[in-house]
Amino acid sequence: MSLKACMIIGKANVGKTLFAINFADYLQVTRLEIEFTPPGEKTHCRSLSRKEALQELTGTTPHQTLGLQCIQIQMPGLKGKKRFSLMDTSGLTEGIPDETNIRRAMAQTLAEVREAAIILHMIDASSHGKSGAIEAMGQVDWQVAQFGGMRKGYAVLANKMDLPEAAAGLRQIREELPGHLVLPISALHKTGFAEVKQFVWRHL
Amino acid sequence: MTVEEVLDWLEEGRVSPAEAFVLFRAVEEKVELPNDSVKDNQEQLEDVLAELDALIGLKEVKQLVREIQAFVQIQKRRTEERLVTEPLVLHTIFRGNPGTGKTTVARILGRMFRHMEVLPRGHLIEVERADLVGEYIGHTAQKTREQIRKALGGILFIDEAYSLARGGEKDFGKEAIDALVKAMEDHKQEFILILAGYTEEMEFFLQSNPGLRSRFPLHIDFPDYNSEELLAIAELMLEKRQYRLTEGARRRLALLVQKGLRQEAYSFGNARTVRNWIELAIRRQAVRLVQKSGEMTRKDLLHIEAGDFGEGW
Repeated sequence: MSLKACMIIGKANVGKTLFAINFADYLQVTRLEIEFTPPGEKTHCRSLSRKEALQELTGTTPHQTLGLQCIQIQMPGLKGKKRFSLMDTSGLTEGIPDETNIRRAMAQTLAEVREAAIILHMIDASSHGKSGAIEAMGQVDWQVAQFGGMRKGYAVLANKMDLPEAAAGLRQIREELPGHLVLPISALHKTGFAEVKQFVWRHL
Repeated sequence: MTVEEVLDWLEEGRVSPAEAFVLFRAVEEKVELPNDSVKDNQEQLEDVLAELDALIGLKEVKQLVREIQAFVQIQKRRTEERLVTEPLVLHTIFRGNPGTGKTTVARILGRMFRHMEVLPRGHLIEVERADLVGEYIGHTAQKTREQIRKALGGILFIDEAYSLARGGEKDFGKEAIDALVKAMEDHKQEFILILAGYTEEMEFFLQSNPGLRSRFPLHIDFPDYNSEELLAIAELMLEKRQYRLTEGARRRLALLVQKGLRQEAYSFGNARTVRNWIELAIRRQAVRLVQKSGEMTRKDLLHIEAGDFGEGW
């Protein structure tokens, strides 16, 4: 039986991969066994330490991740352990990107999102509302929220709460997505992870 | 449409991720969607145009819709041939009295544009002032954005749009107009805005908001129906519901229509009023039949009698 998937989805550069690596670390995964599945290609596995994974898989340029990256996790809880696959995905874009590889990676993400037991929708709270559009939230985040709202295991992770502008961004996200669970976190400093763990545990 | 098809479109760059999610939701909510192949889409476009043609009256409206259809088709073909194209700005003003077919035509336009792949969903979100204008500072922009979001991929139809300018500078309606104008910039090609209302009021509305007029290249006038057209509409409504008028009922309805047309156009609701009369007559026929003693025949069930329209309007 395949493991239930907990998918991390969101726009490029919001911190999905950093969260995946640090959340796995928080859940006491000492060495990351990562399954890489580039679109249209076979899955290959690699074993990386947290430091190696951070160095290799994260960065400041968008679209570092161009395929699915799954980490199998055994999550300890009060009543035993639960296993699931933490699925890091390629960043979504507001419009239609010119690059074929990005479009293919996004299509791969969307193909998986319908099957995911849990959707963790990550939004950068620190840059929320800076776009100058009539609404602070872009169309893609809004549509992900509408789609996620149709499911039980959906939560918004307002990331980068360690940055000064994030508090205002969080308020705005909550205003724009009433009725959705919004969990403030810092993927960098691993804050808010207890609440995320609780949410994931409940929906596995 | 299938999920796989949406994924293919995303991969091919025909839809954005946001549009793909809209389509996903439509699949999950079992919203009416275009069929699988281009051929089917073509057939369905013809169905939509046939439905337009089947509408009673509206000769000029039909002609204009056909012109828009041809224009869009040619612009798309020119794009394929890499020729210079006109921008596909399809925001429209609908002018006409209530019950003249504005909403019906808007729905047809939505479906037409969906089949022509101008809009991914082609659905119609019908709103009025109360759906857009809030009660405190900031509330209006929030409400307006909410409606725009719902309309993305389709048409936002604002009925009695002139009422947004009601109340002058301090009214929150102006905030709604500003948010709409901004959305037309921010979400170019993502939705079509139709502003509808009485002819004179809409003219005044556009005059008092000069920035708006230039953003609406298409203006469609919906004339009042004449008595023959209204009677034909009534007959069509009854036919769809499998009812018929007796000769006496037809005469009574004709009198009602003529009386209605003598009223101010504002207070006579054209086809909408005729529909209300028909619905009332159907209810009264039911009461009459229930109270009738003796056997109820198929003919009884089919026919609306003069008395079912009541004594007058």
